[in-house]
Amino acid sequence: METILSLEHFSKLYRNGRGAKNISFPVERGQVVGLLGPNGSGKTTIMKAITGLTNPTEGKVEVFGADITRDREGALGKVGALIEQPALYESLTAWDHLTMAARYYPQVDKARMEHVLQLVGLGAYAKERCGRFSLGMKQRMGLALALLSEPELLVLDEPTNGLDIEATIEIREIIIALAKEKGVTFLVASHLASEIEKMCSHVLVLYEGEMISFDTKEEALRLHPSLEDYFLDKVREKKGPVVL
Amino acid sequence: MQQFIANLKNEGFKLAKRKKYWVFLILGCAVSMASALRLLIANYITDGMVSRESILGGLMNSNLFFVIIFFLPLMAIMASCDLFVGEESDHTIRFSLMRPVRREKLFFSKALAVFLLCAIDLAVIFVATTLTQLILGGGTGGIASSFGACVLDLVPLAVLVLFFALVNQLAKSSSLTVLLCVVLYLGLVALGTYLPSVGGLVFVGYLRWHNLWIGTTLPFLPMLSRIGLLAGYGLVFACGGYLLFERKEA
Repeated sequence: METILSLEHFSKLYRNGRGAKNISFPVERGQVVGLLGPNGSGKTTIMKAITGLTNPTEGKVEVFGADITRDREGALGKVGALIEQPALYESLTAWDHLTMAARYYPQVDKARMEHVLQLVGLGAYAKERCGRFSLGMKQRMGLALALLSEPELLVLDEPTNGLDIEATIEIREIIIALAKEKGVTFLVASHLASEIEKMCSHVLVLYEGEMISFDTKEEALRLHPSLEDYFLDKVREKKGPVVL
Repeated sequence: MQQFIANLKNEGFKLAKRKKYWVFLILGCAVSMASALRLLIANYITDGMVSRESILGGLMNSNLFFVIIFFLPLMAIMASCDLFVGEESDHTIRFSLMRPVRREKLFFSKALAVFLLCAIDLAVIFVATTLTQLILGGGTGGIASSFGACVLDLVPLAVLVLFFALVNQLAKSSSLTVLLCVVLYLGLVALGTYLPSVGGLVFVGYLRWHNLWIGTTLPFLPMLSRIGLLAGYGLVFACGGYLLFERKEA
């Protein structure tokens, strides 16, 4: 299998002491890796480092064989991302956003732009300003921008944040279909174990900035009835029994 | 280069979509054109002692102080704050940071977009003012020299844009950065005005750069040192701004 993403002893520490410490893991083509951890466990920090939004304090992040800090163009050419809330300009329309994003990718044409809007259910809102969008519509727009260039690696931070049940299922189905049919690799962060369980092939558990486990979903579920139990078990191993 | 141009187009697109730049451009043209009416009124009051040609000839030259010292720096402050610190504070800078484009291309394409906005505004004001001069019977006198002055004044304007781009890397708040840019700019202008001995060393003292080129013989060696000074300022602002932008976390 081809390794398309690897973190080696990656650390990023913020002034408040939070961040991620000594994280190392590879992601191979076609895997759907779920990052599971409570708020402040370092999920977003890792994703920001993979997409070049933050620089590592220590260690190395390689995407498609290119070091993200030295060769951004080589590393990010085949990556789509949605980190935290989507980066949308309030005064621009959905179509304006796609037009701007398409300029970075020569292979993207109008048909592709229309297709991604339809895919996320925003076909009817192409000419509407994103400032008027609801939280769920903004999230869908963020997904459309992430999917636009037909990326081989998709980095999604809480992709169903703000979505209703129906939309959450739709997005999950899109992720599963892209992984199965097109072999797209995913790195999906969530603090909901049930969500990760439904779509991921691998699970990586983070706690207080440290990686405490990285297993296939089958391995994780071999001794645990659900990923939630697996997660709680791993956290208890790390910090000791919880006294009520 | 393709990614640089893609980002330059995007920055220009974002600026063009903001109505305030169109409103300010119309205001700039209106003020420049109104100066012609002011001169004509003065001529009317003095019973037309002076010909229209001598009053309106080189109208753009008489407006350059307003355009170069106040109007364009204001536009440059607004645009640089919108494209740098404004995007950083509302996190929209991630839109371009997550794309396959190097940060130096991002920084310099943003700065170039601000400069091009100012250059286009200057060109539009020049055309509007020149048309006013021609329509009101001012003749063609001074048009060529006004055009030359506008072109020459673009050089220090580029340095000023790089200065604002650098200031934009110093604070995280959009309103604080606007204030910082305005205070620093006015402070430097005042320094150059009230302390002429220091004025020659401050880059804003060269904003009306064309004044140095007036004359039949150009003092080559003193000019060379001034070109070097301006280039030095430009390099320092460009390198400083880029280094701080490279370290930014979004």
